[in-house]
Amino acid sequence: MEWANDKSKGGVLAHLERLETQMSRSCKNLEDPPRETAESDLGTKIRKLRCLRDKLRAEVKQRQARIKASTANAEPDQTLEISEQEAVGGKEENMKAILQAYRFTGLSGKRTSRGVCVCISTAFEGNLLDSYFVDLVIQKPLRIHHHSVPVFIPLEEISAKYLQTNIQHFLFCLCEYLNAYAGRKYQADQLQRDFAAFLAGPLQRNSLCNLLSFTYKVEPQSRSFPFCARLLYKDLTTTLPTDVTITYQGTDASSTSWEEQRASHENLFFTKPLHQVFTSFARNGERLDMSLVS
Amino acid sequence: MDETVAEFIKRTILKIPMTEMMTILKAWDFLPENQLQTVNFRQRKESLVQDLVLLCENKRASLRDAALLDIIYTQFHRHQKVWDVFQMSKEPGEDVDLFDMEQFKSSFEKILRRALKNVTVSFRDAEENAVWIRIAWGTQYRKPNQYKPVFVVYYSQTPYVFTSFCHLKSNTPLLSQALTVASNHHKIVKMDLRSRYLDSLKAIVFKQYNQLETKFKSDFHGGILAERKEPLRCLIKFSSPHLLEALKSLAPAGIADAPLSPLLTCIPNKGMNYFKIRDK
Repeated sequence: MEWANDKSKGGVLAHLERLETQMSRSCKNLEDPPRETAESDLGTKIRKLRCLRDKLRAEVKQRQARIKASTANAEPDQTLEISEQEAVGGKEENMKAILQAYRFTGLSGKRTSRGVCVCISTAFEGNLLDSYFVDLVIQKPLRIHHHSVPVFIPLEEISAKYLQTNIQHFLFCLCEYLNAYAGRKYQADQLQRDFAAFLAGPLQRNSLCNLLSFTYKVEPQSRSFPFCARLLYKDLTTTLPTDVTITYQGTDASSTSWEEQRASHENLFFTKPLHQVFTSFARNGERLDMSLVS
Repeated sequence: MDETVAEFIKRTILKIPMTEMMTILKAWDFLPENQLQTVNFRQRKESLVQDLVLLCENKRASLRDAALLDIIYTQFHRHQKVWDVFQMSKEPGEDVDLFDMEQFKSSFEKILRRALKNVTVSFRDAEENAVWIRIAWGTQYRKPNQYKPVFVVYYSQTPYVFTSFCHLKSNTPLLSQALTVASNHHKIVKMDLRSRYLDSLKAIVFKQYNQLETKFKSDFHGGILAERKEPLRCLIKFSSPHLLEALKSLAPAGIADAPLSPLLTCIPNKGMNYFKIRDK
């Protein structure tokens, strides 16, 4: 085979062409009876080379065009055509209006060359907490390019439901989830930090802070931790629990005062943020001390 | 104390570099501070280890304590393992995930024990609501091999599980089953994502990356790169705090041809860094 000896023809181009002809030859040999004339082989070779040359020329042209486009814009977006750009211009205006309106709800945004980067600032009881961003690319379909939303927040679900049809609702819904998560996390962190003395052992929690389990006491002086609490937050858009179970595990089970306390605790946990519940326990404890002193 | 446990503790402590010895022993919290202070940490390592093992024997260290030390050692030396990533999924429209860590641990262990009598399962809670699990596999007739454990790292209420490479592939289905059932998922698949760096893998699957700008600096000030008609052939090694983002910005910066090879850009989106190139 003459091709095997033609190693002097260096370069990728020649090699590619060699491989191509080899392949087409072996296919031909399987299908048709072999035609050994040197002329027809040369003819095939010429055709293949021309084809390859045309392909490469086209690719070079494409690349040149792309680089021109890159240098023309600050940040290129090859997928966005001029006509579409005009069409989505309207969407950008809409976005700007929404963001201006929601500025006071912790939602802010800044324009990017691709679309808009929305920043969601969370807060709970007047305390500013973590911020998260969602970088939106205004295209058809609208998509999220980047985000810093924690992986356990159901961002995909919320996007699937609202992103394409109602950006406003998408942002509002995401805001709700993030604020509620931040609020629950804040309560759990406060409890662990400021009221560790009231807890026996560490606070059991999970990533979403929607299941909290702990053993606690209400009297600072007491050596035992008579109550067990299990708080469930089935609604991820709220900062108060949906299920509260308080069990009394002390030895004095017969006394009615324990049952009263247990029931009142349940009510407290349902209605007040965690750390506020413990603040009131602490205050009651102080009051008790004061009465003993006087 | 069982001889095998003593040997296991001895070998684990021997692995610990002297510079980390105190830190790791304190994290283990099995030998109290006052006891540790009676030990001479300046002696030769072999003698130090002997002293420490003796203290452990006096305190009747169990296999459980030894396994915990192994977890802590591995946490400090996580780069020594190669980590795979598995992705779990739920049925659509399921109820809110009320993940209970204690329930997860108990369920996980139960499933393993039901299938395999000889297995050692240990847990250590970690930051960010995660848990490190250590599993030493045995067979129906043989006790667990403590020297070839599998480590699993799971962040609660996420669909991703990180596991250290395991030679014994036969136990993977059982491990997968235990993970999915205990965490209330339905399916689990192995991703084409593998690395020694857990933090890197975390950043990719949890999509935790910021928008940093990294510039490519060349030492060749217009030397080899200037006025070339043909492409330049060279090997470039990139390192950066956010490598993938940096690579993506090469094209807009005019340094690389657009578009970049999808092999590079698909890593964060598809969560793959492991590619199989086959013949057609």
